[in-house]
Order: sequence, then structure tokens, then C-alpha cells
Amino acid sequence: MNRILIVDDEASIRLLYSQELTDEGYTVDAAGTIAAALALLKENTYAVVLLDIKLKNESGLDLLQSLVRERHDMAVILSTAFSCYKDDFSAWLADSYVVKSSDMQELKDEIKRLIEKKRAR
Amino acid sequence: MSYECCWFNQERSPLECPNIEEGEEYLYSSPRKRFVEKCIDCSWFQRDLATLPENDSFRQIINALRDEYKEQKGQLQSMSDFLSSKSREIRFLHELSLVLQASMELDEILSVAMTAITSGKGFGMNRAFLLMLDRERKNLVGHLGVGPRNYEEAWRIWDEVDQSNFSLTELSREFYKKKLSSEKAKFQDILEKLTVSRDDTGHIFNRALQERRSILIEHAFEDPQVDPKLAQILGVSRFLVMPLISRNRSIGVLLADNFVTNNPISPRDLQSLQIFAFPVAFAIERASLYERLQEEVENQLKANQKLQEQQDLIIKMEKMAVVGRITASIAHSIRNPLAAIGGFARALLKNGDIEQKKEYLEFILSEANRLDDVLEEVLNYSEAQHPVMDRWDVNQLASAVTAEMKPRLEEMHIAVDLRLAAELPTACLDYKQIAYCLRTIINYVAVDQPAVDRIEVTTSQRGDRIMLCINDRGVALSEEIKQALLTPFMATETLGQGVGLPLCKIILERHGSSFEIEDRPDGGTQFCIVLQQQKEEQDNEPNTDCG
Repeated sequence: MNRILIVDDEASIRLLYSQELTDEGYTVDAAGTIAAALALLKENTYAVVLLDIKLKNESGLDLLQSLVRERHDMAVILSTAFSCYKDDFSAWLADSYVVKSSDMQELKDEIKRLIEKKRAR
Repeated sequence: MSYECCWFNQERSPLECPNIEEGEEYLYSSPRKRFVEKCIDCSWFQRDLATLPENDSFRQIINALRDEYKEQKGQLQSMSDFLSSKSREIRFLHELSLVLQASMELDEILSVAMTAITSGKGFGMNRAFLLMLDRERKNLVGHLGVGPRNYEEAWRIWDEVDQSNFSLTELSREFYKKKLSSEKAKFQDILEKLTVSRDDTGHIFNRALQERRSILIEHAFEDPQVDPKLAQILGVSRFLVMPLISRNRSIGVLLADNFVTNNPISPRDLQSLQIFAFPVAFAIERASLYERLQEEVENQLKANQKLQEQQDLIIKMEKMAVVGRITASIAHSIRNPLAAIGGFARALLKNGDIEQKKEYLEFILSEANRLDDVLEEVLNYSEAQHPVMDRWDVNQLASAVTAEMKPRLEEMHIAVDLRLAAELPTACLDYKQIAYCLRTIINYVAVDQPAVDRIEVTTSQRGDRIMLCINDRGVALSEEIKQALLTPFMATETLGQGVGLPLCKIILERHGSSFEIEDRPDGGTQFCIVLQQQKEEQDNEPNTDCG
């Protein structure tokens, strides 16, 4: 079963994404901080990490860099409320990005696409 | 014996005198002057003298006296000429000094100088050329030529000058206004050919500058010290080279000749022109320096203008950056709750158990409240531009806000101490806005400052300032964070953080007050709202009702 990690400091978003993705048949973990995410990453292997850029006092891009360096088998989707991340080159390291929306179809499609792409390799 | 001379001939009236000419009528009534001026050479007197025998002692004495008289008269005339020449020099120098004092314009000064050299009312030379050192001081460059190019032009010009009856100053002004540019063009070919390098030390121009003396050339075509090409260019055998030196600085060289009349140039002319050359050199140097100064000033002005434009651009870009941050902050603050509300609403439409639905609804409510807060912040930011001022007791304001926040702070296990100064004067402020500032600061300390379990709110008076301070014993803030806290929308996690403290700064600035964040000596941070004590006249605040 494909496992997904959600990293977002908004409790409501964590809950919403968790429920929706669980309903889609994924195993979902959620973390509100980078430290919590790193702890989960140590324990588990994830097919996709859904990463918010602007965490409370941290930047999701810092976590992205270490994921890209150390976990080549994981796809990372940047999830953000605004498009300023495009100005930061390090955001280009991600496999994909989605802008947060009440309609999660785009996010679900993107997750599916990345998992299939990984299988095909 | 009868004499022809009117002195002894009763039948002859002085009015019959054949020697008095038109304009000399005053001599009829002045026998003494008439005798000195006319009688000694009068033909009547000569004939009367000739009637005496040759060996007559009286005739011999008279002849000797007459010769001596002529000799003395000649000397007197010579001295008179000398005096009028000097008088003319003084007049020129005076006129020149007037122009020099009044003008910083190089061309105007050159017009006076060249007119003085070539005008009949001046030194009366036929032609003059000015060569000036270039900026690099490597070449003597032909700058200006004045005078006729040929005989026909000469007679025409001199005729015009004779008829005009202009003074030297008027002539030079006329020249400056009407002829300067055409004269420059007229002699352009000669001026170009006259240009000489300073390295050519043997050239007569450079020698005049080196030796700091005027050189009079009498036979240019045969003179070994004159470049044959120069003689050919000028087309005259006699000319004068005059160095222009101001203090110890070489300015250029003046050439003058009598190209048309071929009149000799006397040592006295040379001496006069040398005296004249000194103030001319000084004036040219001063005007050149002034011209360069003007150029520098102009460059400076252009640079300043460019700098101003750049600064304006930077300010504009900064404003755009702030707009960008505001947009991003608002987008972030709205999109997160909107995504959650919409997402949960969609989930509710699907099947779910009661507990789950309840949880979703609570989140929807909470996120809707957040959107309310966002709207409140945006409106506050906008309202900060228009405070409504009145007199308020700061102690009362501090007590009310603290009491309002106490229950929530206690929930967060944070104690609040209130220490108020006795007999605090009133301050002119917008109660709603200052209360907002106090609330925002307390909220920031409680929520965002780590390790805070006690907040102290104090009021005090420092001179004419009223201090409303919020102290904590948490972690000290770095300068970078302090700066970021006061910059609108630097933090975009929530709009509250994005705008809260910077908004306090803006509100206080519009109150004529300030916001200070300082480290406490015993640890933690002190946030102070610095209000101005109520003054007799509040004339610097357009919206104030205080006063």
C-alpha cells in the first residue's frame, strides 16, 4: 500500500488531507513541524511527501533539500497557499506542486501520476 | 620801417592771421597762446626778421631763440604723445577691468581683449589671433582670430567703425553679440594651421611662453627662429608674439600684426601690449575655470537628478515589494482557511459519521473566524491612516485592555501584572487604536515569544513622554527579528503576524508617538508604546480634537 506523508502546520489542512487521502486508499501520516516529519521519515518509507512551504517558523524548502539529497525514491509535492515559492530556486527541486484548494482533485491526480511514474521506472 | 607782423603793424588786425585754422578761433582773443602756437613760424614774422642784416645781433639772437623754441616744442609734443599713449592704456585697462569684474563669460572677455588690440581706439593693430592651451595642456590651439582678411574688408570695417563712433566697450559688446561666431569661422583655416604642440620647444610660440616675454619679429621670412610655414600662414614679415601667463600658469599666446597697413610695431607698442596682456591672461584663466566649474556643477546636477530618479525608483520598487508581500500575505491567510472550509464542506456532502461531521463543522467555524480576523486586520490597517484623537487616561486604557485579556492569558498559564504610575497626565490618542496596539503586543508576547509565563504592563512618565510598556522575561530578540517585527507583512504565516506589530508602529507614528523594542537588562524584552503628553496646542495632527 502506498504511504503518504503530509507536512503542514495547519491542523485543519492536516485533518482534511488525511481524511481525503485515506478515503482514496492511501496510508497517511501527518506532521505539523519539520522535526515531527523527520521523526516519521526515520521510521517509515513514503511514496509521496506532501509538503507545505510556509510552516509556522520554518521553511518546508529546507526539508525539501534534505529529502532530495537523501531519499531519491520519494516524490515530493509542494503544497502552498500562494505562488511566491516560484521565486525560490530550491522549490524547483520538487517533483510537482499544487496550490491549496477546497477541490482536492488536482492534488489526488498529481499523487496518482507520481506513484505510477515511480512504478514505471 | 614798416613791419608785416601784426604785433607791430597797426593796420593789421589779428583777424587777418593766415595761420589760424578752423577750430582755432580762440587764438584771436589770446595773444599769448597765439604767439606760442603760431607766431614763431609765421611768414610775416619771418619776412620781418629777414629785413634785418644777417650779422645783426638781434636777428641772430631771435634765430637762436626760435631754434631752441622749436626743439623744446618738439620734446613737449613727444611727451604729450607719450602721455596720451599712457592715458589710452589706462583707459583700456580701466574698461577692461570693468568688463572683467562684471563678466565670467570667456567669449565676452575675449571679445573685449581682441577688440582692444585691433580697434583704432585701442592699440590699433590690424589683426590678432588667440591660441589657448587645450585641457590636456599638450597643444596650443588656435581659438579666435579678429581683423580683416583682405584690403577691401579692412577699409569697409574701418569705415564702419569710424562712422559708428562707438566706445571701446560698445565696440566689444557689438563684436561679442554679432560678430564673434562669424570671426571664428572666418579664420578657421588659419587657426587650425597655427595650432602647435607644446613639445615643439623651438617654436616661437612655445619660446614666448617658456621665456615669459613678448617677441617682436621684424623679418619673419628671413628670421631663422621663425618656422617658414608660420610666416607663410600669416603672410606678414612683422608680427608680435605675446605670452598670456596668469600667475605661473600658461594660458595661451596672442599674435598681432599689421597685415593691411604694414605699419611698424614700436617697442612702445610692445610695452603697452605687455601691460595689457597680464589682466587679459588673468581674466581668461578665471573665465575658463568658471566655465569648467559650471560644467562640473552641471554634471553634479545631472548626477543628483539621476540619483534622485534612482531613489524614487527604489522607493517605488519597495512600495511594489510591500504590495507584493501584502498580496501574498492576504492570499496565504485567506486561501488556507478557504481550502479547509471548502474541503470540509465537500466532505460533509459525502457520507460520514456524526462525530466526524461535528469535527468538520467545528473546523469550518474556526476557519470562518480566522477569515473574520483577516478582514478585521485589513480594515484596521486601513483605518490606521485616519485616527480619531481625544484626551485619554492611559492608566484607564491599560487597566481595561489588561482586564479584557486576563482570562485568555490565564488559560495559557500566563500571569499579568499591572503597575501604573500615579498622577499620570492625559495623552492625546485614538483610544481604539492604542487599545488595539496594546492588545496586539500582549498577544504577540503571549503566543509567539517562547518561554513566557508572566507579562508585566506598566505606565510611567519620562519628561513629556508617557510610556506604556509590556515586559516579558522570555528569550531576548535578535536585531534582525526586531527589525522584521516592525516591517509590514514580513512574516506571512498569518495575517496577524504579518501586520500586527508593524501596524502598531504605523498607528503610533501617526499619533506623533513611537514604538520601541528593547532588551531588558535582567533578560527578556520590553515593548514600549511611547505617547506624547497632552500639550496646550496640538497643531501637528490634522484629525485631532485635542487641544
